[in-house]
Amino acid sequence: MSRKFWYLTKMSLFKKVKSKWFLGVNILFALLIIFLCNIDSLITFFGGDFDEGSQIVILDETKEVGSSLKSLLLSSEYNTDDNTRYQVSFSSKSLDDEKKLLNKENDNRILIVLEKDATHYLKAKIISHDKISSLDYQILVQNINQVKSAYALSLSNINPQELEQISSPVEIEREVLSTDKTASENMDLVMNTVFPIIIMPVFMLTIFLVQMIGADICEEKSTRSMEVIISNVSAKVHFASKVVAANLFVLIQGCLLFLFVLCALLIRNALVGKNTLSSVSTFVKDILGGLATTGFIDKLWYFIPLFLLLIIVSFIAYSFLAGILASITTNMEDFQQIQTPMMIISLLGYYLSIMAGAFEGSLFIRILSYVPFISSLLSPALFILGQISLLDVFLSILITLFVIFLFLRYGMRIYKAGILNYSNEKIWTRFAKTIRNKDI
Amino acid sequence: MLKVENISKNYGKVKAVDHLSFTCDNGEIFGLLGENGAGKTTTFRMIMGLLETKEGKITLNGEKIDYTKTDKIGFVTEERSLLTKLTVEEQIQFYGALKNMQDKRIDEAITYWLKRFQIEEYRTRKIKELSKGNQQKIQFICAVMNHPKLLILDEPFTGLDPLNVKMLKEAIYDLKKEGCSIIFSSHQMEYIEEFCEKLVILVHGKAILNGYLNEIKKEYGIQKIEIIGDVSKEEIEKIKGVREVIVKNNKLVVQIENETVVEKVFEKIKMNKILKFEAMEPTLNEIFIQKVGALR
Repeated sequence: MSRKFWYLTKMSLFKKVKSKWFLGVNILFALLIIFLCNIDSLITFFGGDFDEGSQIVILDETKEVGSSLKSLLLSSEYNTDDNTRYQVSFSSKSLDDEKKLLNKENDNRILIVLEKDATHYLKAKIISHDKISSLDYQILVQNINQVKSAYALSLSNINPQELEQISSPVEIEREVLSTDKTASENMDLVMNTVFPIIIMPVFMLTIFLVQMIGADICEEKSTRSMEVIISNVSAKVHFASKVVAANLFVLIQGCLLFLFVLCALLIRNALVGKNTLSSVSTFVKDILGGLATTGFIDKLWYFIPLFLLLIIVSFIAYSFLAGILASITTNMEDFQQIQTPMMIISLLGYYLSIMAGAFEGSLFIRILSYVPFISSLLSPALFILGQISLLDVFLSILITLFVIFLFLRYGMRIYKAGILNYSNEKIWTRFAKTIRNKDI
Repeated sequence: MLKVENISKNYGKVKAVDHLSFTCDNGEIFGLLGENGAGKTTTFRMIMGLLETKEGKITLNGEKIDYTKTDKIGFVTEERSLLTKLTVEEQIQFYGALKNMQDKRIDEAITYWLKRFQIEEYRTRKIKELSKGNQQKIQFICAVMNHPKLLILDEPFTGLDPLNVKMLKEAIYDLKKEGCSIIFSSHQMEYIEEFCEKLVILVHGKAILNGYLNEIKKEYGIQKIEIIGDVSKEEIEKIKGVREVIVKNNKLVVQIENETVVEKVFEKIKMNKILKFEAMEPTLNEIFIQKVGALR
């Protein structure tokens, strides 16, 4: 029987993987991921000014603060080794001459005029030929204000040491007394950056999984091949082969998505000519640095396996439900209708997990995190935010396992009776009757 | 030998099969007849083990049928049970693997049967691209490729032209010679008459007629005479015991009450110019209509 099981599994899997649909979708995925990872290069290639650096000219009439502003701008977080956002120089011309120069077309320099002010210590003008980006404007205003504060303090007979102590950021030591939570304000960083990247493919793969099982069973039913297949293998073996094939399929699809991301980064590396992978690793380091302050890194060793376990059991539960629903329908159109509520529940889980941070302390959201089909997405989000404990995640896994047990006990009866039934009438009455019928 | 003993199956309050019994010996073709919804498909499903029997038992060569036996059972369903997106080769390989056949044997079977049915050129074509008749041939190949001990044929000749029917008939007779027990179901009574030694007619899941076809026909006796010759309809109608005379293509079909009427008719017309005079048993179609129609 195991030979037949593996043959059916292989058959279902190959039917999907060898299809033109699979090839087409993955070509699209690859292109989309490569496009998204290299969007700046593409825009620049087609003549856009994405990420183009700005030339800043300082006309320092105070003869004192210009160099401080230059240093601040050059040491800005946007001015890195890989990316020079600002080039800063001093002007020796008069304001009128500079204005005349700026008035010429295509002069995209930004002129900053710094002047002393009797009451407010410093006043400044920002002059450009065209409108500048709001980000550039914010950065310039922020740095000019910083220069003004430092200048004002220096005029108040404060010695340089004291001035440095005043200017340095406050050292904040954060302590969370609760031991069973990963509570930290810095977890927002993870929720805003890493989590959506992880959760989106999980959600997408869930849809693939449901569609694959549904389409496979509906095809066998609508062509009446089911009759012959079930004559040769038991309904249990048939169902198990569908579940295994669909889960292997999502595993393959998941690996392919990961591969596409790697390819996209390599292409970016080749296109930009800079070590993108190192800049990615810098990005990851920044995130990990942020996480380190929360103590979350120490919990990763059990969080990742737990998260994977929750996803695996949820995928199995989804496969079981999709298989059972497909067995009681007679064609793909009926299946699409009957599986819609399942997809809405999954979508709910997706949105709740993305917005979990906004509902801190909500008992309702916490209860939803135990609900199978939602828990795979919501439970990890709440755990990262420190709103639920490890025990709660375990509980979600146990509840999902219990649902799988119910599917095995009662769902198999529905599946066995459903796959050989071609009637569309009184589906739910038959559904209920079959659950009660122990002889099936 | 297939032995069906007193099996029953209910769908809720509806009796789909009601205490049905029959046997089909090795090398025998058995006819299972009935109107639509009479319980034929349910009987097939119970034989294949797809449905549990409420009571009674089914055995093949003395053993209960389970998934270790179904490898040696071929099943041609009424609808074409084929995965239309597969190629002919893939489809046969698929069902062959489900019958636990080794790849080499499957390949040999594909080559042999495609050649025998003269469809070798369709080997790599998709099922959906084939005509209905060729699809039916593929379904037949899938059912018989493993030399079954029991073969269930539910309307096997649907969509086939006379030449292809002949081809399939020859294959069925070959399987019969191999000792395969064959259950044949069709609404085309001439096929049943041609193939089956034994049969059962089902009405609402109950066997209303069960036994050897020639014995059943004998029980009904001579019921009609066919005459071709210089005879008038009115002349025959006057004979006592004649129920009805129908003129059909220069032929008189005389319905009679019993066998004794044959002699009376012959005596009456023997001096006329007669080309054909044949006293006939009822056809299976007539028996079916009489039996099933009377119960409606």
